[in-house]
Amino acid sequence: MTLSAQSLDAGPRPLRARLAARRVPLSILALCLLPWILPSEALAVNVLVYGLVAVGYNLLFGYTGLLSFGHAAFFGTGAYVTGIAIGRFDVPWFAALALGVAAGGALAFVIGLLSIRTRGIYFSMVTLALSQLVYYIALQASSWTGGENGLRGFTVSELNLFGWTVDFLDPVKKYYVIMVFAAAALWFVSRILNSPFGSVIEAIRENETRARACGYDVERTKLISFTLSGLICALAGTLFALHLAIVPLDILHYHTSGMIVMMTLLGGAGSFFGPFVGAFAFLLMEDVVSLWTPHWQIVVGSVFILFVLFLPKGIWGTLMAWRAGR
Amino acid sequence: MMSSKQGKSGASRRDVLAGLSAGTALLAMPWVARAQGETIRIGFPTPLTGPFAAEAKDQVKSAELAVKLVNDKGGIAGRKVELLVRDDKLNAGEAATRTLELIEKDKVHAVVGALSSAVQLAVNEVTRARGVIYVSISQSDTINEVKDFSRFTFHEALNPHMTTAAVAKHTFKQGTKVAYLVADYAYGHEMLRGFKRAEAALGATGVGEILHPFGAADYSTFMPRLRSMRPDILCICNFGRDQANAIKQAVDFGMKQQMQIVVPVLLHNQRLAIGPEAFEGVIGGANYYWGLEEAIPSAKAFNDAFRAANGGAVPTDYGAYGFTGVYSLLLAMEKAGGTDTDKVIAALEELQYDIAKGPQHYRKCDHQSVQSVLVLESKKKADMGSEADFFRVVATEPASESILRSCSELGLPA
Repeated sequence: MTLSAQSLDAGPRPLRARLAARRVPLSILALCLLPWILPSEALAVNVLVYGLVAVGYNLLFGYTGLLSFGHAAFFGTGAYVTGIAIGRFDVPWFAALALGVAAGGALAFVIGLLSIRTRGIYFSMVTLALSQLVYYIALQASSWTGGENGLRGFTVSELNLFGWTVDFLDPVKKYYVIMVFAAAALWFVSRILNSPFGSVIEAIRENETRARACGYDVERTKLISFTLSGLICALAGTLFALHLAIVPLDILHYHTSGMIVMMTLLGGAGSFFGPFVGAFAFLLMEDVVSLWTPHWQIVVGSVFILFVLFLPKGIWGTLMAWRAGR
Repeated sequence: MMSSKQGKSGASRRDVLAGLSAGTALLAMPWVARAQGETIRIGFPTPLTGPFAAEAKDQVKSAELAVKLVNDKGGIAGRKVELLVRDDKLNAGEAATRTLELIEKDKVHAVVGALSSAVQLAVNEVTRARGVIYVSISQSDTINEVKDFSRFTFHEALNPHMTTAAVAKHTFKQGTKVAYLVADYAYGHEMLRGFKRAEAALGATGVGEILHPFGAADYSTFMPRLRSMRPDILCICNFGRDQANAIKQAVDFGMKQQMQIVVPVLLHNQRLAIGPEAFEGVIGGANYYWGLEEAIPSAKAFNDAFRAANGGAVPTDYGAYGFTGVYSLLLAMEKAGGTDTDKVIAALEELQYDIAKGPQHYRKCDHQSVQSVLVLESKKKADMGSEADFFRVVATEPASESILRSCSELGLPA
């Protein structure tokens, strides 16, 4: 499924290339081990969810080269739509999940249409402004969203599908159910990146003018990339809603957008597994350090500064570059 | 920090370890006999970072005091009590995660805490689904209502309805004109709703409302508009730093010469931060004030224990919630003889307690703590007897269900 140009060469391939070709199964293996490494399953699910948001964001930021500051909107929309569908309309969980993803994707398409023609800092500002718009809609429409108090009352305690029942309150089972979706999304992203489309978005990142000169429709490609990225963030949002059984208003706040950018940078923008590593490092640091000092922000902030200064490729990106350099 | 104590139920990754150590388990049979002596763990999520950090730290100190007092007396049925404090960062998602951790990993027997309407509702949702007892210690009307009601949740804090009812009763009169400056989020809205209701009942008239964003630093644009409404009372419905900033700027604009400033909750820490001049004459409600010790023996006992544990400092209003919340729960556990959820719930519903501020009990239908509401006035600097002598108790609204919304209004069976 992850055939690449290298497989046409008959000769033995270096380890790195072989690893890269197996990146999806390897990533999934790493995710399988996650709840056994982290101090709690609840944190592991958070890493999964935020890792997935960062993967979605990375598609746009790391691979297409567009710095969006509004991805909280898609994350939050996915979560809210799923919550409302279950809580208000008694929609079965899988349908609610699909609705959440569809709504987030549709919103990404609209915001993409409005913002894609701007570039650089203007693009960041437009996406930020539009996502703030979504925030205020959720704040004001409190009869639907619960406003400031957040959305509640849609706890899913067991999942039913094709006669199977899973106890969704059991943390380990919950983790692996959510992981199945994350794994599917990872495969999907890998598939996109290995397709000709994946090469085009990287071409746009490297040199937009040249990509245009080669005959690619840059605007359309950016829009598709933006929408796909929004879809994956919305999927993460729906999983977040199922996991915590609440949707806090903060999920739409620009702080969330900022956190997504931070996680992506920390892990390594433009690397396949980097965003997960970023989410892992960020959330683990926050969790562990805040247990022994209320001044955890100083520690986490310093680590982040050190990374930006000395490891601009992020944890995973640096590791990969170091391996490649040997 | 990881707890190594074996939980009684629930599958987890420890199951694998359990398989490996199956043989050892047989040898460890005496452990089963000691299960009775297992420590009682109380989870305590609270916003140690963020704008309410000062209040949160007071809550932790008071909660720790309650645990210490019980442990000094030999614990509950011979079991020690342990408080697991977690920073919820004033973020509902973080609080839900932390609560899941406390329940799933640390296997807590109950949860107490949270200091914001949204955060406590998130904790409530998590504990409700898992059948874990939760004592919430932050103001909210929503948590009493049928939609969020949980058999496992008890609300120890005042709620906006009763706070505003008591404050309005002692400040609003027939024909009083009231203007409102309201923080635009759940806390402000619920306080405003409470005041509006009291206003109609008492025959006062509202002359206008202005909403301000949460966390606003500049209130100067609102003051001329409020002044032009010509109210007798300016009611400032916000919390934390917002309260201090709004009052300070109202005073700078000379509003106090023309109207009485009233707040739903007169905050100890904000008065401490801003000083007596700006707050002088401001009237507001409170769940607790240390000055109660002159009249109420349990307040004296609480203050003395707190002073002894904290180098002579007095407990604050929001801090006291940490004490009464944890202590009432522990009293119920003592009555129930352990941590059996149904027995503890029954004991909490029956409990009559006087541990810091006079008699209290949890109303059966909505699990709201029926308790007195104090109406305080901030003292002039010259009248202050000591460093911490901030307020004069204008009135004490006695503990009574009459200032609560009725069970049927909340949608609950009486």
